[in-house]
Amino acid sequence: MTASGLLLAAAVLVPLAMAACCLSRGIRARAPFLLAAAPLPALLAAFLVPDGTFVFFPAPFRMSLVLDRPGAILLGGAALLWSAAGAFASPYMGRKPATVRFAVWWLLTLAGSLGVFIVGDVASFYLVYTLVSLAAYGLIVHEQTASAHRAGVVYVVLALLSEACLLLAFVMLAASHPDANPLIRDVVATLPASPMRDSIMALLILGFGLKMGLVPLHIWLPLAHPAAPMPASAVLSGVVVKAGVIGLIRFLPFETGVPVWGTVLIAVGIVTAYYGVAIGVTQTRAKTVLAYSTVSQMGLLAVLIGTGLENADTGATTLVAYYAVHHTLVKGALFLAVGILAATGGARLRPVLLLTAILALSLGGMPLTSGALAKLATKPMLGYGALGYAMTLAGVGSTLLMLHFLATVARDARQNPEASAPPGQVLPWLAVAAASLVIPWSLYPAIAGETVQSLFQAEALWKLLWPMALGGLAMIAVSRLPKLRGAIPEGDIVVLAEVGSPALGRLILGIQQADAALRRWPAAGLSLVTIAALLAGALMLGA
Amino acid sequence: MTPLAAAPAHVATPGGFLLVLAVMLPVVAVLAMLALGPRQTARIALTTLATGLGVAIAIVVELLRTGAALTYVVGGWQPPLGLALRADGLSVAMLAMTALVVAAIGFFAHAQHGLEPTTRHGRAPTTFWILLMAVWSALNAIFVGEDLFNLYVALELLTFAAVPLVCLDGRAETVAAALRYLMFALLGSLLYLLGTALLYGSFGTLDIGLLSEASAEGPGFSVALALMIAGLLAKAALFPLHLWLPPAHAGAPAAASAVLSALVIKAPFFLILRLILDVAPPQAAAYAGQVLAILGAASILFCSVMALKQARLKLMIAYSTVAQIGYLFIVFPLAAGSETLPPWGTIAWTGGALQLVSHALAKAAMFLAAGVIAEAFGHDRISDLGGFGRALPISAAAFGLAGLSLMGIPPSGGFVAKCLLLTAAVIGGHPWLAATILAGGLLAGGYVFRVVDRALATPAIPLAPRKPIPRRLELAALVLALAAVLLGLVPLQPFGFLQLGRPDSLTVIAP
Repeated sequence: MTASGLLLAAAVLVPLAMAACCLSRGIRARAPFLLAAAPLPALLAAFLVPDGTFVFFPAPFRMSLVLDRPGAILLGGAALLWSAAGAFASPYMGRKPATVRFAVWWLLTLAGSLGVFIVGDVASFYLVYTLVSLAAYGLIVHEQTASAHRAGVVYVVLALLSEACLLLAFVMLAASHPDANPLIRDVVATLPASPMRDSIMALLILGFGLKMGLVPLHIWLPLAHPAAPMPASAVLSGVVVKAGVIGLIRFLPFETGVPVWGTVLIAVGIVTAYYGVAIGVTQTRAKTVLAYSTVSQMGLLAVLIGTGLENADTGATTLVAYYAVHHTLVKGALFLAVGILAATGGARLRPVLLLTAILALSLGGMPLTSGALAKLATKPMLGYGALGYAMTLAGVGSTLLMLHFLATVARDARQNPEASAPPGQVLPWLAVAAASLVIPWSLYPAIAGETVQSLFQAEALWKLLWPMALGGLAMIAVSRLPKLRGAIPEGDIVVLAEVGSPALGRLILGIQQADAALRRWPAAGLSLVTIAALLAGALMLGA
Repeated sequence: MTPLAAAPAHVATPGGFLLVLAVMLPVVAVLAMLALGPRQTARIALTTLATGLGVAIAIVVELLRTGAALTYVVGGWQPPLGLALRADGLSVAMLAMTALVVAAIGFFAHAQHGLEPTTRHGRAPTTFWILLMAVWSALNAIFVGEDLFNLYVALELLTFAAVPLVCLDGRAETVAAALRYLMFALLGSLLYLLGTALLYGSFGTLDIGLLSEASAEGPGFSVALALMIAGLLAKAALFPLHLWLPPAHAGAPAAASAVLSALVIKAPFFLILRLILDVAPPQAAAYAGQVLAILGAASILFCSVMALKQARLKLMIAYSTVAQIGYLFIVFPLAAGSETLPPWGTIAWTGGALQLVSHALAKAAMFLAAGVIAEAFGHDRISDLGGFGRALPISAAAFGLAGLSLMGIPPSGGFVAKCLLLTAAVIGGHPWLAATILAGGLLAGGYVFRVVDRALATPAIPLAPRKPIPRRLELAALVLALAAVLLGLVPLQPFGFLQLGRPDSLTVIAP
C-alpha cells in the first residue's frame, strides 16, 4: 500500500470516521468544526496523488480506487467547495442541537460525493453513489418546513428511481463478466459489443440524468436546492449533481463511441439548457433562479458529453471535467453569496454585490473569468456549425438568467438594515471565489493546449462579448414583461405529476379493497384450493 | 408400485449428535421450566439461549471442518424404518441464524420483562419463555429433519407454539387474530397430512433422501406434492393466503412478533424448498416453480403497496413481511440450474439464502425497534411519531439500518441478495422478475422512508417517552440490524458454505 493509495482511501474514510465519531458525546459538541477539515485529505489527494494511480483493497472490502485526470480535477474542485462551505456552515448553523444532526448528514454526503470521483469498481461505485443520494435527503429536509418536506419526498422518489435504473444497468453490464465485481473500465470496454447495449445505455442516461437534473427529470432540483440551508444548497448544486456527470464520464464508452446515444444526449442537453433559462427567468427567489441555472448548465455539460460520445473522443472527458469544475466553484460561490448578501447592508453591500456580479457573469462567459476559459476550451470540440451556435445562444441565455439573478438579489438586499456578515462566512466565500479564478487559469494551458496569451486577442474577446451583449438586450426585453415574474411555480412540471395523483390514489384504494376482499375466509379458502389445483396441474404437466 | 429396497441412505457422522442436541436442548429447558416453576423460568431460558448459541457455533465449525453434511440416525435404525437427521450447508445456516435471532429476542424480552418488576414472574413472561423454547426446538427439527412425517410433527409443534404467542396479552382482538391464525394453519396442516398419507401409501417411505432416489412419478405423486406445498403456503402466508398474518403479527407483543415474522414463517418455506428441490422430478419442479414465482411476484407488489398505506407501524412491518417472503418464492425459476450446474451452484441459490437470513435479521430488528417505540410512547401510529429519532436514537438507527437491508441498499445483506437475484434474472432472461425485484425495492424504500422521515422530524412539541427506556432494551434491535448490514460483506458470487453437503456439489470453496 503506497502513500498515495492511503491518501486516496483517506479521502473517503476520514469523513466517514468523523461521522462515526459523532456517536461520542465529546466530539459531538465540536461536530460543526469538523466540517471544514473533513474534505482536506481529498484536497491533498487531488493535488499530490499522480494521475493514473490505482489501488486495490482486497477482501472483505474488495474496493478499488482510481485517480485519473478528470477525476482529479473534479475531486479537487469538489473538496475545495466542501471545505469552504463547511467553514461557512459552522457560524451559519449556530449552536443548536439540530446542528449536530446536520453535521452528520453533511459528513455522510461529503464522503459519498467525493467517493464517486475516485472509486474504480462497479459495486463500490454503486455504494458511494447511494451514500451521496440518500444522505443528501437529510440536508434537504433539515429545515423541516412544509416546502422542505415536499422537496424531500420528490427527491427521495426520484433518487430511488435513479438507484433502481443504475442497479439494473450495472447488473446488465456485469452479467457477461466473469468477475462478480469487475472494474468499471473493464465492463465499459465490453459495453459497445454487448447484446443489451441499448437498454444499458438508456438506463445509464436515465439514472445519471436524474441526478444531473436533465429535463424532464429535473423536477427535484429546483425544489430541493432552495429548500436546504444555504451552505448545503451550495454543495448540492455545486458538487452533488456532479455525481451524475462523473457517472456518465466513467460508464459511457468514449473510446469506441456510440453515435446514436451521443445524439440523444446532445438533444436532451440542448433542450435542458434552454428550458432551464426559460423557466429560470420567471422565478422570483434567488436560490430558485440559481437552481434553474444549474439545470441549464447541466444541459450544457450533457451536450459536451454527447459530443464526445458521438465522435469517440476520449479527450472530451477532461474538457467536461474542466467545465464542470468551473461550474462547481462558481455555483458554490454564488449560493454562499446569497447567504452573505442576506446578512449584509449599508456600505459593505456594494463590494459584495460587485463580486457577486462578477461570479454570476462568469457563468455567462465574461472575459477573463473561469466561464470564459471553459467556453473557449470546449469551443473546438463542439465545432463551428449549428451545434456551436446553439451553445453560444445557450451562453446568451446564461447571461440573461444571471442578470435576472442579480436583479433579484439586489432587490432583496435593499430590504436589509445595517448589518454585516461575520468574517467566518465572508472568508470561505472569498476563498471559493478566488479558487474559481485561480484553478481554471492554472489548468487552462494543459487542458486547452493553448497559451494564456491567446485569450487576450481581440477575436477571442469578441467571441465572448457579443453573446453577453445579446444577453443584456434580452434582459431589457424580459424586464419589460412584469407578468413573467412568478408565472411558473417552482419545480414546473412536478405540478403536472401531482395532478396525476388522484388516479394513483384510486389505484391504491383498489388494491386496499382487493386486499380486504382476499382476506375474507371464503376468498382465502377458494384461493387455497385453486393454488393446490394449479400446483397439481403444473406438477403433472412436468411429470 | 413397489416399496423401496432398504439401502443405507444415511450414514451417521461423528458430529451428528450435535443435531440431536440442537433439537432437544430447548425441550429439556421446557421440562425444567415446568418442574422448577415461574421464578426460575427466565434463568433457565437465558442459560439455554447461551448454550444453544454454543451448539449452533459448534455445528458450523463441524461442518466447515469436515466439509460434509452432518447426519444422525436415531437409534441406529435406517430409514424407512428409522429416522434420520441431516444438516447440509443451508440447514446449518438456518440453525445458526435461528440461534442468533432467538438469542437476541430473548435478550430483548428479558430486558422488557424487567421493566415491570411486579409481573416479571407472572403468567405472560413465563408462557413466553416456554413457547419461545418450543418454537426454537420445532424450528431446529424442521431444519434438520429428513422424514416427511417427522417434519409434520415438528410443523404442528411449531404452529401450536406460535399461535399462543400471538395472544399472550389476552386482549380480545389478539385472541381473535390467534384463532384466525390457528384455523388457517390447521387447514394447511390437513392438506400437508393428506399429501403425506398419499405418498406413504404409494411408496412406503417418507424419507426425503429415499424418495429423491426413487425418482417417483405418477398423478398420485403430483397431487400429493401439490397438496403438501399448498398446505405449507397457507402457513407461510404467501399472497393471497395472507389473511391471518397482518393481525397476528401486528397484534402480538414485540418479542413474539419478531419470532413469528423472522423465523416461524421461514420454516414452511424451507420445507417447500426441500420438496421442490429434493423430491419433485426436475421438469415438474420447473413448472411448479413458475407458479410459485408468480405468486411471489404478486406478493411483493401487492403487499408492498399495502405496507405503504398502513397507518400503524407494526401493521406496516407485518405487510412488509408478506412482501419480502415473495422474494424467496421468485428464487425457484431463477435457481433452476442446468445440466452442468445444479440449483445450489447458481447465484440465485445464494441470493435466496441470503434474502432468507438477512430478512430474518432485519425483520426481527424492526419488530424489536417497534416494540421499544410502543413501550415508550404507548402507541405505534406512524403519523403521531414525529421526532421519535430524538427520543430513541438507537431504535431509530436500528430501524433505519434494518430498512436499508429491506430496501436492498448497499452495504447490507438485502442488497447482496437482491443484486444476486437481479443478476440471475438478467442472465436467465426473466425481465418481469427483474422489474418486480426493482419495483419491490422502490416500494420498500417508500414505506421505510415514511418512518425515517417521522424519525427525523422536529415537531413544535418534542415527543417525550412516557417512561424511561433503558439502553439495553434498545440494544438487541441494533445488534440484529448491524448483523443484517454486515451480511453485505459476503462476496457477490455463489457461496461455498451453502453448497456443503449437497450431492455433486461443485468444487467447494471454503468461505
